[in-house]
Amino acid sequence: MNIDHHESFQRMIDESLAGAISAKKEQSLREHLSTCAPCKEYLSASNRVIVGLSGFSFEVNPTLNARVLAALRLQAEQVRETLAHDSGTMRQHTVQFKNWAAFAVALSMSFVGSALVYQMVKRLAVPMHFDTAQVQAGVLVFWIMPSFCSALRLLAAPGENRGIA
Amino acid sequence: MESDTQRIALGLRQGDVVVLETLVEQYQYRLVRYLVSLLGRRDGVDDFVQETWLRVLERGGSYDGNSRFEPWLFRVARNIALDAMRKRPMFSLDSNEGDGVRSSPASGEPSPYTLAARTLDAERLAHSLQTLEPVYRETLVLRFQEDLSLQEISVIVGAPVSTVASRIYRGLATLRPQFEGETA
Repeated sequence: MNIDHHESFQRMIDESLAGAISAKKEQSLREHLSTCAPCKEYLSASNRVIVGLSGFSFEVNPTLNARVLAALRLQAEQVRETLAHDSGTMRQHTVQFKNWAAFAVALSMSFVGSALVYQMVKRLAVPMHFDTAQVQAGVLVFWIMPSFCSALRLLAAPGENRGIA
Repeated sequence: MESDTQRIALGLRQGDVVVLETLVEQYQYRLVRYLVSLLGRRDGVDDFVQETWLRVLERGGSYDGNSRFEPWLFRVARNIALDAMRKRPMFSLDSNEGDGVRSSPASGEPSPYTLAARTLDAERLAHSLQTLEPVYRETLVLRFQEDLSLQEISVIVGAPVSTVASRIYRGLATLRPQFEGETA
């Protein structure tokens, strides 16, 4: 048998050990090994390397696990606190947004209502001899200002306890 | 039925410390062994181990549970070690294959392999392993000690399967002559 032939099978041995050989090649290799002493020697030396690699036993620092677990617990606690803080901040922002939304809605309703009230009062006021300025002042004092103050109260109310209604 | 890896993935997503404690107990030794093979030294490994587990807690959500946990863990550890080594010149690193690392053992100190050898064959391999280029040592350890497949090793080291296979062949070729010409 020539050297190239052995090299080819020894390459197959490497592939087999690495887990990169096909079933067909594996079968061919097995047949070859049953009759070839140099390739058997090659396989034996390779196996001793692999067995030798398993002959190392590293000492693990006995305090390492405790140290790692303490660090993990501390970090987990910090993560939980951060999440709780973020959640609180988000809830606060949500409440503020709802307050402003309620204020905007109330203000819009106030203006629309004021326009309607003004038109109604103006019609009623003509037969009663009130002039326009008096009607406007009346609507301002008795309708617009109270409704605007009500809208403002929505902003001042403690967020989660107030409603639009 | 939920597999072990799916349970681990769920626990990590939830930041469950109990799951992490179990993982630490289960994988600590293997993590130490892998990092020693990567660094070629024992000192500093404990810090990387701790940092690895903290990273697991922090980014555990990226483990999907569809593959074994060890390759994912080793990849996290490898990234941390490589990042730290790039930043810390005290490790005297030199890259020999772009993504690989080379560590210089501290002068005068016995190598971790000499200290850890428990069999005659291991004693014979200790010196060669220490001087073996880290990329080959790492690949041999992952294949023959951690029993990972070429595909799993490929994911850890970020190299094609063919490259991983070549590293195994070359690593074996470097260590094999010590046992040639002997009867097993």
